[in-house]
Amino acid sequence: MRLTFALALSLLVTGLATVGAERYIVASDIPWAPFEWASPEGDYLGFDLDVMRCIAVLMGYEIEIRPVAFDSIIPAVRLGEVDIGASGFTITAEREEVVDFSNPYWLSNQAVLIRKDSKFKSLDDLFCCGNKIGAQRGTTGADWVQSNLVDKGVDVKLVLYETYPEAVLDLVNGRLAAVVQDEPASQQSLAAYPVLKVLDTIETNEYFGFLVASGDPKGLLPKINEGMLELGLRYDLSLPAEGQWKVKFRILPDSPWFYLVQAYFGPPLEKVEAAWKSCIGTLYDETLAPEERVYNFAKCLAEKASE
Amino acid sequence: MTASDWQGLLKGVPSLLGGLGINLQILLGLVTLGFLVGIVIALIQVYGPRPLATLAVGYEWFFRGVPEMVLLLLIYYGLRQFHVPITPFIAAVVALGLRSSAYQSQIFRGAIQAVGSRQMMAALSVGMTRLQAIRHVILPQALRLSIPPWSNEFSSVLKDTTLASAIGVIEVFKRARFIIGRQYGLALPAFMLVALFFLVLTYMGNWILGALERRYRIPGFEAKGTGERF
Repeated sequence: MRLTFALALSLLVTGLATVGAERYIVASDIPWAPFEWASPEGDYLGFDLDVMRCIAVLMGYEIEIRPVAFDSIIPAVRLGEVDIGASGFTITAEREEVVDFSNPYWLSNQAVLIRKDSKFKSLDDLFCCGNKIGAQRGTTGADWVQSNLVDKGVDVKLVLYETYPEAVLDLVNGRLAAVVQDEPASQQSLAAYPVLKVLDTIETNEYFGFLVASGDPKGLLPKINEGMLELGLRYDLSLPAEGQWKVKFRILPDSPWFYLVQAYFGPPLEKVEAAWKSCIGTLYDETLAPEERVYNFAKCLAEKASE
Repeated sequence: MTASDWQGLLKGVPSLLGGLGINLQILLGLVTLGFLVGIVIALIQVYGPRPLATLAVGYEWFFRGVPEMVLLLLIYYGLRQFHVPITPFIAAVVALGLRSSAYQSQIFRGAIQAVGSRQMMAALSVGMTRLQAIRHVILPQALRLSIPPWSNEFSSVLKDTTLASAIGVIEVFKRARFIIGRQYGLALPAFMLVALFFLVLTYMGNWILGALERRYRIPGFEAKGTGERF
């Protein structure tokens, strides 16, 4: 009795201990491969997370990755519970009212997934007749269905899920007609479920960004932006016209960014996981300069993942 | 299930077991908290002065009446709102523990009342104080009597620990969802494995409680179901 009480008390104390300075909490909605997911062993990996880790090494701070449900990340950032949201967030005007975004780092469109055995030949066939369209709650995919179909009186039913895989499972099981989701994640579903195919792509031209609390109270955005530049991401900018970003990404060859993209977008997840396990040590090899560690890690990851 | 599904499930077992360890930690914390607070509430309800007893009834009414999920979110996000640096783990222990204390208080209240007021009177008449009577006469019997109904509460709160995933505790259920999110084919097997874990834990816990019940039974007051035949 006394022992259990002491144990509970010690748990309470460790639980309340505050984290030191220069350590930031990165919130991410796991799983959303290949941007973020958990390996069977429980490692958190993915493109977003490794970009975050590399930037942390370059800029000299530590990060802790915390899985948070997608629609809870922005509230958590605003409350100051977490410092950075890194979860394939599309930069939207609506979100920019409540949080601040880094420079964009990815361009995505929405893919419409259906079963191969379904009768739909085009989006027009699909978007009618009370068909059920699935999407993850709080995502731009869900927004698109709501504002471009449901709100305009198109006869479809939007079904929302807490995670993307749950929507895909319902599609496979025949409870949905289609699922709307970002292209890269949809590619992962195709690999997992050969019965699925992409009916069409909706050109939404969405730019992903990392987000922090409004006003960037901890001064993280300059570090993140500088970190992305150092990793090898370049922009060919033109002035935004009619609220739409006009940004072209250019990735420096033989740069960490180049290798991270190569590692995460293509090879099967198991290979990436195995590569990650054997390469992650190089990122924290204190004998080397931060730039070298980041470069070695990214290159190691790309090489081992595509072996 | 394909070979790669089996492989994925097998590779996930250590992570799932690690998650189960977190559930057990939450269980330990919440049961301890619920036990201590529950006994105090029960004693106040039975022996406390009228205003305190009314307060204790109000406490029990609140924590038994609010859905657990709402209570979890209320305590976690509520305290966060006021910048109390509470971790999801501690919030889960506190929310589920307080809820359990309300249920446990009713178990103990029933047991205390079953011991009967005559024993209290007898204890007072031999010169014991009220506290001494509670400590040496009432509680030793009441606690023994409460083991059977308490095992019911144990089975219930054991499973409730998975609710902690809702506020971000990376326990076994959350980890199962990670595994499924990575390999969709594991939806059924991973949840079945989690179900199996809890079946085993419930069995083991109830077996231990059954042994305790037999060990500490009061001759002449055996509850049914202890293997005794009359």
